[in-house]
Amino acid sequence: MAMSESSNLGFLIKEDDSGRAFAILSAVLVIGLTFHAYTFFITKEDDIANKYTLPTYSVIFEENDVQNSDSMLIANGETDVFQLSRDIIDASATSMMAQIAFTISYEETSGQIADPCDEVHAHIPPNGLIADWQNTENVLSDSNDNCETMTLVVYVYPGYTGESVEEVGQTEEYWKDMWSNQTYGSGILELEISVETNQAPGSNLIPTVNDDNEEINIQWTVSFFDADVQVMPL
Amino acid sequence: MINFTTYGMAVDGLLAVGGILSLALGVSGLILIKNQKQEIIWNKRFAAQILCWIFICKGVANGARSIGYETEVWRIVLYSSHFADQIFSGLMILLALIFPVPILRTRKHFKYGVAIVLLYTLFSMFAAVFIGVSSPLSGIGDSYIVCGFIWTMVYLKFRFMKGHEENKEILGVSDVALLLTIMIIGHILFRWVGMLTRSNYFYFMDLYGGNVASDYLWSMGLASAVLFGIVILGGEIYQATQGRIRGTSYVIFTYMAVGIVGHIVLAGTGLSGSGGGTGAGSSYTTLQIIWTEITASVHFTMIRPILGLYILFHYGLIRISEENEQVGKTMAIVLIVVATSALLEIIQSLIPLTEMLSAGILGVAIAFGIGWEERSFQSLVSNPLRFPLRAKGLYFPDLSFEKQDFQALNKGLLVMISFMLGVAFILHLSEADPFSMSFW
Repeated sequence: MAMSESSNLGFLIKEDDSGRAFAILSAVLVIGLTFHAYTFFITKEDDIANKYTLPTYSVIFEENDVQNSDSMLIANGETDVFQLSRDIIDASATSMMAQIAFTISYEETSGQIADPCDEVHAHIPPNGLIADWQNTENVLSDSNDNCETMTLVVYVYPGYTGESVEEVGQTEEYWKDMWSNQTYGSGILELEISVETNQAPGSNLIPTVNDDNEEINIQWTVSFFDADVQVMPL
Repeated sequence: MINFTTYGMAVDGLLAVGGILSLALGVSGLILIKNQKQEIIWNKRFAAQILCWIFICKGVANGARSIGYETEVWRIVLYSSHFADQIFSGLMILLALIFPVPILRTRKHFKYGVAIVLLYTLFSMFAAVFIGVSSPLSGIGDSYIVCGFIWTMVYLKFRFMKGHEENKEILGVSDVALLLTIMIIGHILFRWVGMLTRSNYFYFMDLYGGNVASDYLWSMGLASAVLFGIVILGGEIYQATQGRIRGTSYVIFTYMAVGIVGHIVLAGTGLSGSGGGTGAGSSYTTLQIIWTEITASVHFTMIRPILGLYILFHYGLIRISEENEQVGKTMAIVLIVVATSALLEIIQSLIPLTEMLSAGILGVAIAFGIGWEERSFQSLVSNPLRFPLRAKGLYFPDLSFEKQDFQALNKGLLVMISFMLGVAFILHLSEADPFSMSFW
């Protein structure tokens, strides 16, 4: 073949294989890029158009409560401690602890006439249990001397209100992890209750009758939740 | 447990190391070319020069990007890296047009070809300045199609040439075409399955995002790269069944196999970062971040210059003689030692090694590197593969160029790169908006 003939592009295409390599490659390229264009503009059009739109996730909570009660006989001037933990209440391993509420009630049980209610003080120290101790809704201590019921509340899981929430950005896995942190609720919560008895007028005149303790009833409610995270349609 | 602070440093450092490697290869390669005494066929000589400038451009781009965009000079980072990538793309096209088989087959072809490619590159740069970097006119994805098509066609022709199945010179041409393709598009092959399975991690890749036409052209370039990879894979599987497996076969097998594993790792991801998948997306898990780093990023920053070095020496683009042997050896050792230490840095960020242990491993790695140099450097440079000028001489037209012609290309590219850096600086001073038609 003359050099002039070999200087054109047609020579390169046809030489040795009659243009088979060029034809095969062109065919693969046309078919492949058609598939790509169809995918880009038709199949994945919405996905690609919204790829920079941050996904929104709906987090729905299913709540369940565990309740129980107990009583303690606390001597005058003493402080007794009531303990609560996931192990103690045999909670589900997968559920998250949302909050703990205590209802503390008592009556004057000395049996003396005109014996006034004793003074009862209830306090939850902000340690021991991993919880949302900074939450301003927490009620960590109360006291009274009129036999009224006291309620103490500890919010355990930060940000949890029981209402469904919408989260923007990140991934489904991220939000599942965010709402399934077992750290919150781990440890032991202590409720300290102290009693100062109030003696009935004239009780010192009858030495066999004395108001020197009180029975305290504690009803506790631990709220648990399971979070379901679902991506919301764009 | 991965230390994310350390990991992040390794990620930024990798781009910087890649930039240094590329710059070192490009500059020392140009010195070697200038000092070499032996006569080299014109297309190899030009290819050597272009390959060196390609790595200089990539060095500038990677070096600039390693600074990051959270800096006062972010416009310089963005514009200089974009411009450097545009020149890089233009030079890749030019390289494919002359090497290994010249498509530009006469002096006239060559003159017009170089002029058209460089003018197109300049036009793209102006489009980036006056229309915006995310404009379709300033894109750079088209180079994958042109280069990939030419090199894959050359690969097919020479790998399947009847009657020459055992001819080393002819197979050498197909090998270098395959290696050049891998060098340029290897990081995209790590995501090849995603194109066929319509996965987000492939179709969400873009350069800057926000312009559908630009995003499509870029994605089309990546898709074409995948198609060339599949064609070469098919070719090598066929040759393997015929008992004609070669060293380069394992390269494509490895890249495509990593792509299959990569699909398992990356499937289900959303945003895949920008570019050709060399960076992790914002929604990536730790495993996906690590995977991207040890595959695509390593190819993009380290394997490219090492493959470039291999091509330059093994295929005789640069001939080493007594005069320039020392520079060549130093160049090879620097590349191997820097790449080894960078790889070790990545491993150290993933596996909690003590500094003492990593220093020990580095010492062993460097000893191996120098050992490699002693044993293999001579065989690499002293017996370069020749092209089949006798058997298939018509593919390789004999054109004559003066020394000034080669120097003119160097000068032109030096002016072009200096110009683009100057323009990037001026755009920084003028506080241009890279993403809008700020000068209209």
